[in-house]
Amino acid sequence: MKIFTLLGLVGIASLAGAQLPSNIDNSKAPAAPGKPRAGSPGVPMGTIAPPPDSLKKPLVQPQIISSSSLLKVNATYQSYNLQIPWQKESAGGRRGLGVVLPGNRVLVTAQMVADATYIELELPESGQKIPATVQAVDYEANLALLAPNSPTKEKEFFAGLKGVEVDDSARIGDSLAVWQAGRVGDLIVTPMRISKVMTQGYVVDNAAFLVYEATGIIRSESNSFTLPVVKGGKLAALLLRYDSKNQVATLLPAPIIQHFLKDVADGRYDGFPSLGIEFQVTQDEQFRDYLGLKAGAPGVFVSKIMKGGSADKAGMKAGDIMISIDGHEVDARGDYQDGQFGAVSASHLIRGKGFVGDKVEIKVLREGKEVVLKGSLARKEPDDYLVRPYLFDHGPKYILSGGILFQELTSAYLNSFGREQRGGAILRLQRIASNPEEFEKDGRKKIVFIGAILPTASTQGYERMSGQVVEEVNGRKINEIADVAAALKEPQDGLHTLKLREFPYLLHLDALRVERDNMQLMNGMFRVSELSRLE
Amino acid sequence: MHLRRFLPVFSLLCGLCFHSSAAAEETPGASQVIDMNSGEWDGIVNIDVSVLFPDYREPWNAGQPSGGSGTGFLIGKNRFLTNAHVVSNATKIVIRTTNDPQPHPARIVHVAHDCDLAIIEAEDGAPFEKMRQLTFGGIPKLNTEVIAVGYPIGGDRISVTRGVVSRIDFRTFSHSGVDQHLAIQVDAAINPGNSGGPVLQGGKVVGVAFQGYSGSVAQNVGYIIPVPVIQRLLKDVEDGRYDHYVDLAITDFPVENVAQKKALKLGDDGVGVMIADVEPAGCASGVLQRGDVLLSMDGNPVLNNGLIRFEGELMDMNEVVERKFAGDTLKVSLMRDGKKSDKEIKLTRFAPYVRLGSTYNQRPRYLVYAGLVFQPLDRNLMDAHQVRDPVANYLFDNYLTDKIYVERPEPVMLTTVLSDEVNTYFAAYAQSVIDEINGMKIRNFQDVAEALKKEDARKDFIVIKLVEKGRPLVLRRDLAEAAHPRIMKTYGIPEDSYIGSEEE
Repeated sequence: MKIFTLLGLVGIASLAGAQLPSNIDNSKAPAAPGKPRAGSPGVPMGTIAPPPDSLKKPLVQPQIISSSSLLKVNATYQSYNLQIPWQKESAGGRRGLGVVLPGNRVLVTAQMVADATYIELELPESGQKIPATVQAVDYEANLALLAPNSPTKEKEFFAGLKGVEVDDSARIGDSLAVWQAGRVGDLIVTPMRISKVMTQGYVVDNAAFLVYEATGIIRSESNSFTLPVVKGGKLAALLLRYDSKNQVATLLPAPIIQHFLKDVADGRYDGFPSLGIEFQVTQDEQFRDYLGLKAGAPGVFVSKIMKGGSADKAGMKAGDIMISIDGHEVDARGDYQDGQFGAVSASHLIRGKGFVGDKVEIKVLREGKEVVLKGSLARKEPDDYLVRPYLFDHGPKYILSGGILFQELTSAYLNSFGREQRGGAILRLQRIASNPEEFEKDGRKKIVFIGAILPTASTQGYERMSGQVVEEVNGRKINEIADVAAALKEPQDGLHTLKLREFPYLLHLDALRVERDNMQLMNGMFRVSELSRLE
Repeated sequence: MHLRRFLPVFSLLCGLCFHSSAAAEETPGASQVIDMNSGEWDGIVNIDVSVLFPDYREPWNAGQPSGGSGTGFLIGKNRFLTNAHVVSNATKIVIRTTNDPQPHPARIVHVAHDCDLAIIEAEDGAPFEKMRQLTFGGIPKLNTEVIAVGYPIGGDRISVTRGVVSRIDFRTFSHSGVDQHLAIQVDAAINPGNSGGPVLQGGKVVGVAFQGYSGSVAQNVGYIIPVPVIQRLLKDVEDGRYDHYVDLAITDFPVENVAQKKALKLGDDGVGVMIADVEPAGCASGVLQRGDVLLSMDGNPVLNNGLIRFEGELMDMNEVVERKFAGDTLKVSLMRDGKKSDKEIKLTRFAPYVRLGSTYNQRPRYLVYAGLVFQPLDRNLMDAHQVRDPVANYLFDNYLTDKIYVERPEPVMLTTVLSDEVNTYFAAYAQSVIDEINGMKIRNFQDVAEALKKEDARKDFIVIKLVEKGRPLVLRRDLAEAAHPRIMKTYGIPEDSYIGSEEE
């Protein structure tokens, strides 16, 4: 049987890296003033396309005023190549707006600064610029706080600017205004109306947060990221994405912004806590009967407990029926009644309202009896996941030895293959990402797999393989990539022996040849800059 | 038979039996003028077939009637050879000849889906008694001329096209989609309708035309089933029964790497291939194991790349197994941890392969309960339902690689939920794979009926656990029993179930 038929992975030649979704894709080329511009295709989260000429007469005349709280933010970014991890992708630029906060701080979305190599702030009217650095960033909450990085120019630069306050009082039905900066720094204001409040993932899919959904028409301008949305001159939200077809904007709301700023203010950023459960709705009467839930009684069926989450630590178990969190009843849909927003997913009680370390009290029904679980809120850091959910600002971890590329599995890597990939190695790896329990139980911290095999003398006969999970190297069990590094120091009888979870299950390498090939890989055709990244 | 795990070319291959819907393209083949009076080719007949395509989406229905046409030829007294795919799912078979206006009703004697061959007979053999039978040659040499004779699209009368032998190699037979056997590639025009027709050299049959490329990537590529495959079938059915191909159910990995050679303690004589995988339910299980080196089969040395010298040619080592029959033994010599040993393997068919391939002439099996439609998970089902559920796709894709068949020889899927008050919350769970029903693990389709009757600790409920879904589906037994006849009536389902027998 020939091995090339066993490969599900796209070869190393396909270099589509994971790109950060942009909310409005005019970051690459500013629109010519006054000219309509077609929305760019292929933007994942909706683009702002200018309305057809017949509809161009605005319903509401934009007010032209100037703002002392808006800045232009320009970021250059360069991400790592996830499939050739020692290389970086080509650099690109993003242009967006920043909201000036008290204390010369500037709030932007995290998308704006992901993988940033250089960030600068620009005064909209004069065009004066100073460099800036990221003071805090949260990719799950999609928020970042920038600080100027020029002690000499900072005072002068911020002299005419005024920090805005954050206002979390918005409710369904309220009118808000989206701010955009015109070509010469003029303020363009567009009205929006909140129609819904719910929870949703922002830009990474491991966490859902509160969002406002608002309707209104937003015109495309040259600064696309981080459009502020205000209520009575105070910051009520940031634009997260805009669906131009349905004219629906999804807004990152003030309660989450406030949570982020409050967390940053104490000098140590802890991030948003999570409950760490998967639950099932209980509207089905026969299922309710089976669970012993009376008609109209609250509660959802807890189907999965994530290792290391708040629920896990408080002693919640799969099969429990969660009936309340901190005294808020959880209904059959998993919602609680929020005083301000009405029915909202109970996850907001933890993630939106709670902070890491806060006490929490959860009531569950277990075997027909009410049990009160007490614990404190915890957060699952990206590194605590078996398969890291996102990977901004970091290079992927890898070891290249003799031509075998060992990598740690991340969701970013899987996403770099696109969603269509349904069969073969990617499907197998994807399943591990969505069902990590079996591997976590086994003591693994990460999944190490063969990302590719470069053609060298050591890998003769192995070239066209990839996607196999590495179980053992030289008899040592591989729980994370550092184990590979250690194991490769201990060849036996001049040979390295790899045990794989999939075909061909067993590979051998000549230890001396590997050393020689490593020199070749660095100095020869491949010009590999570093043979590993383990940081 | 031997199986490659992932084959990227399935969609490009097509059988050559043309059905009534086939586009009537003009055939550009190089037809020759022949002397039809010699009687030499009288034994090459047109086979006209009415078929019923089974309906795996509404398995209680009879299916979709259709028709097709192929070629066959006389190889013995009232014995015609053709392709299995020409007569698959047939409800009526009729033989026609060029010089006779009379259609002759016919029936299947043997069908071998795993090598795409079938033997049929006329209900009345008398008209064919004086007809000349065709005789078999051997494997033709590369770059020698062959002609394909048959009844392809482009007209009603017999057609001849000419070409040379381009390649002799192992190929996937697209009829099942999983079986691989020796096949000969020719550049003679082979078109829909040629299927089952003889390919001749010097007046002797050197193969049966059976598949081509329908994609735009290849040109003038036709495949024929060579004589060794045909003769194996003829020998297999001598006892009146077809026993199928046997399979070692192992996967070898070529030894090219010096480190591999050293670790496996191989010499420099180029002999020995690594056994990377042994299917636990296969006949080699317990004899061979992962990491063994296979040194020879029946005394023929196996080379580092898995080839073997057989009948003077280098061929895939599986060719040795291909020629054998169920119950035959294979002598192997192997090396484990540097120690050599000789062993014997009694060859059997490997059932899990069958499920991965397309199957024919089988009534779809199903069970309906309270609007939930249960069906066994196989290739036909996956294709008919265009399954999108990631768990089901994963299980099917890795049925072999993850040895899922060991735990669950026949996974069962909840394919459809026929909406009713009793199951209204279940719609989202269609295409889920069943784990347990009422506490009983579902290993085979037969288990479903038994498990539904079973009374667990909570006997008022029927509890259906799904693989990797967050919640069980729970039915109140009294409500489900009451709803069942109502649903059967509403959706026009005549029978609760067709459980069938064990697979052929």
